[in-house]
Amino acid sequence: MVALRQAWLLAVNDLRQEARDLELILTSSFFSLVVLIMLGMSFSALGVSSQPLAVPGMLWLSVAFVGALTLGRIFTREREFDTLRALLVAPVERVSIYLAKAFVTLVILLGCSFITVLGLTLLFPAAQPFAERPWATAALVLMGCTAYAGVGTLFAAGLASSSGKNVLLSVILYPLTMPSLLFALVATRSLLEGHESFTTYLGQLTATNVLAFVVGAWLFEPVLVGVPQKRSGTARAARRRR
Amino acid sequence: MKKILPIAFLGAAALIFPVSVKTIFLDTPIENQMGTVQKIFYFHVPLAWIMMLLAVVCGVAAGIQLRRDSKRAEAVSIAAAELVLVTGLGVLITGPIWGHATWGKAWTWDARQVSTGLLWLIFAAYVLVRHYGAAGSERLAAALAIFGAIDVPVIYYAVKIWKTTHPSNDVAGSLPASMWAALWPALIALLLTSIAVLLIRVQQELTDVTLDEAWVDLDDAGANKLEPTPAPTSGSGDA
Repeated sequence: MVALRQAWLLAVNDLRQEARDLELILTSSFFSLVVLIMLGMSFSALGVSSQPLAVPGMLWLSVAFVGALTLGRIFTREREFDTLRALLVAPVERVSIYLAKAFVTLVILLGCSFITVLGLTLLFPAAQPFAERPWATAALVLMGCTAYAGVGTLFAAGLASSSGKNVLLSVILYPLTMPSLLFALVATRSLLEGHESFTTYLGQLTATNVLAFVVGAWLFEPVLVGVPQKRSGTARAARRRR
Repeated sequence: MKKILPIAFLGAAALIFPVSVKTIFLDTPIENQMGTVQKIFYFHVPLAWIMMLLAVVCGVAAGIQLRRDSKRAEAVSIAAAELVLVTGLGVLITGPIWGHATWGKAWTWDARQVSTGLLWLIFAAYVLVRHYGAAGSERLAAALAIFGAIDVPVIYYAVKIWKTTHPSNDVAGSLPASMWAALWPALIALLLTSIAVLLIRVQQELTDVTLDEAWVDLDDAGANKLEPTPAPTSGSGDA
């Protein structure tokens, strides 16, 4: 419970900072809009019968692109002001940092997904079930974005702490988030086509979320700070090699 | 022993491999429905098993590396990941050839194909992070390897959970004795080769770390520092 409370306080703090300058929210929302317009221009000629096959891809590719952009920036504030170290030495559970950052990522992804879903519903007639079944759509988007945030936060944190190159985030992120995106894709298709299998796919997506969060929370501390070095030369040698 | 073991394994593989090829192409009867192309089964299946085994080895070693900061585990993890890439490439080449002959389509996007492709992508990402990542990214790569190992049970159970074009897992148990007689030598030869290459790569990585540490120790002792060049004194140049 203490970890959850700490996570909530950290997330509120991050969201308050975000509310002051709106940097992530505005840039990610604008990027979602641009992707939506590009998708609209590219697929406007699609027939109504083909649209249920294309719309799920449009939705989740958009989430994947926006997610990479968001995750690339989620630890930037800590990096720029060197507050990550302060956060790590503070009397806070490491898992709370992970949960807080994942929650902030999720909030931003949900906001962007709302824009994408709304736009797709307006642009493509086959996407009308999104408006007709809003609770099912909300559950689907929530589950799809949660898995993405769960896996992505772990590796964004790792790259932030290792002074890594941000290009590697996409290299890592896409293969790892592909299973959850695939489940989300087939669940969206079954939602649009009105199949009963929607709940089955949603269940599988939820199981993927649980796995992503359990493994993410377990690996967060060793990935972020590692374990104490046995020999001081080893770390220096690794840095020299690079 | 460290040097002899890989050589012994490679030697044994070199002896078994010709026997395996002879058994596959000359002794095993041609399958009724698929014809000669079914022979690719004897390479595809062992490669897939070895790929999954190496992915698990890599994931376990990465876990030990993360928890104990073990250089040996890190070396095993690197070597196993590289071999997953090689064996995975073999699986992803032989599979579609077989699929094209049996299903009429090389790639059907079935769950086992997708999860195997995904495994390959994860380990490709691992190798990229190891090569191009900054200091500290070895921990990131280790986490990637653990996620890769989690994909192995997904590959195995994919045919049970989802509807796929792949044969079920029970098919291996129902193989006739003549097919097992051809499968075993191929599996042993490929496994011995993989273990030998793994051992060689582990030794190379450990040597690399030892050399780096020796270099740092020398650096600490000041042996690598250049002697400062004495500044020329005025008027002494013509002497």
